[in-house]
Amino acid sequence: MHAIETLELTKKFGSTVAVNKLNFEVEEGEIFGVLGPNGAGKTTTIRLLTCLLAPSSGSAIVGGFDIIKDSIRVREIVGVQTENPSLYERLTAYENLDFFAEAYNVSGEQKKRRIRELLEFFGLWEFKDKKVGTFSRGMKQKLSIARSLVHDPNIIFLDEPTSGLDPESAREIKDLMKSLSKQGKTIVFSTHILGDAEKLCNRVMIINKGKKIALGALEELLSNTNKKILKIALRKLDQKIIDAIKCFKQVKEISVDNSTSTVSVVLNDSEEVTPEIIKSVVLNGGLILSVNVANQSLEDVYLRIVRGNNVENQ
Amino acid sequence: MRINKVILIFKKDWREIRRNWQILLPIFVIPFMISVLLPMFILSTPSIISMPASSLAGIENLMKNLPKNIQTEIKEMNIQQALIYIMLQYFIAPFFLVIPIMVSDVIASDSFAGEKERKTIEALLATPISDDELFMGKVLVAFIPAVIATTVSFLLYSFVVDLYSLRLLNGKLILPNLTWLLLVFCLSPTVALTSIGLTVTISTKVKGFREAQQISAGITIPILFMLIFGQVMGIVILGPQMIVFLTISFLVANFFLFSIGISLFGREEILSKLV
Repeated sequence: MHAIETLELTKKFGSTVAVNKLNFEVEEGEIFGVLGPNGAGKTTTIRLLTCLLAPSSGSAIVGGFDIIKDSIRVREIVGVQTENPSLYERLTAYENLDFFAEAYNVSGEQKKRRIRELLEFFGLWEFKDKKVGTFSRGMKQKLSIARSLVHDPNIIFLDEPTSGLDPESAREIKDLMKSLSKQGKTIVFSTHILGDAEKLCNRVMIINKGKKIALGALEELLSNTNKKILKIALRKLDQKIIDAIKCFKQVKEISVDNSTSTVSVVLNDSEEVTPEIIKSVVLNGGLILSVNVANQSLEDVYLRIVRGNNVENQ
Repeated sequence: MRINKVILIFKKDWREIRRNWQILLPIFVIPFMISVLLPMFILSTPSIISMPASSLAGIENLMKNLPKNIQTEIKEMNIQQALIYIMLQYFIAPFFLVIPIMVSDVIASDSFAGEKERKTIEALLATPISDDELFMGKVLVAFIPAVIATTVSFLLYSFVVDLYSLRLLNGKLILPNLTWLLLVFCLSPTVALTSIGLTVTISTKVKGFREAQQISAGITIPILFMLIFGQVMGIVILGPQMIVFLTISFLVANFFLFSIGISLFGREEILSKLV
């Protein structure tokens, strides 16, 4: 059984289509990344799947329950870390978790044990009696994730979980996500930090303007293209050099970083053409500081797909 | 509806309110002003005691419309005693409808609109607490302080008034009496519920606390002023029968108001109003 399955899931706000006929499945125990530019529909998708919003059309099954017919049951079995920390700042860290534990039907000794476990894990136990209003952004983010786990849900939605965290805290969160996945928990998270998605996700879905534009395992998305990136750092950039590079038919894209005098060239066949390009740069008076040929990263693939989609839409 | 979830919302909100002086201050100040300062002002104003007879013409209507038992009681009093007695017994009575409304209005306005402003609403709406449980939890947290504030105000007011009456009415205690008991324990909570139901519903629809407070005050205060004005002019006298009639009317209105309020409660609309 899939942990999550959507069927033509659509959400409209007036004439704006925020989520447009999304079809995807998330397997149990999977870490599933939802990527997309600002306003792509990532948060709306999470809000639909956590029953905060009702779909305009289409449906979804989460943990075996229909998001329209069994919204209360869905809310019971999922954990949600929202875009904003959504914490009560006049209450202490302990009081916040205590309230949400009770709201999710966790009580008595089990509740006390769970709250202690989470606060200790996130290094917040010594601050349990401090009001959340006095917490740093990182501490609030950790507490917000702790809240989403207070009832030990099997499906967890995390909206930008590492956003605004220092590198150490971000690493702790990523380690936690890996550990939860090993325990069989399903994690759906949205992020704009593509490095996080690359390190954590089994599969990713890229959405733009509410539409799914790519879905698959990371290896699949990366291997769908055999393109390589040639990066040439020069002492000084010259338009003549750029024009010379553009003349090669194997060159698919070219971008220039003036601040570092670096030319990045997307190639169809790097082995054959790289020496020729280098030769051409030198012949046009270029002083080469370094040359590097690399596979495209998820970021490169993401930008290419999103830009391509934007061009198609125009 | 699960009562334990309603109480859970109440407990959480009350914890927050206890630590918020902006909300707590009116809860203490308004009842104190009405129950202690207002009667003391009336009792200590020499102009009332030595009011010329011509000034009494405006309250003749009120005196004529008083219940017979009250008329019998004031027959034995001199004019100043009667005037003060009527003021304490009748003029101030509608203000005891103002207390629960003013106290609850601050809390009820903050219920959903405050959570939107502080961006805490999304996590709350994501919990498996149902719409009616959320709504009633928010109503309860405004209702209980309002009832407590009104009761405490009544006790304070009775103390102040009886101190006066012991001295000036030959040992007679004005309060408590049936009219006031019905007013404080029947009509006042019922009116408070109407105001709270209305304000909580408004709070779900608007973006911020101030907006909710202004709209609800714009609806409830004119109604209250009509009641106070009616009482002063002798048009509506809050005697036991009138209080019972109004209590039943407000109870019926509350039934419809709460049904409408819960049916209008939409998580999606609340989220769409996030600031």
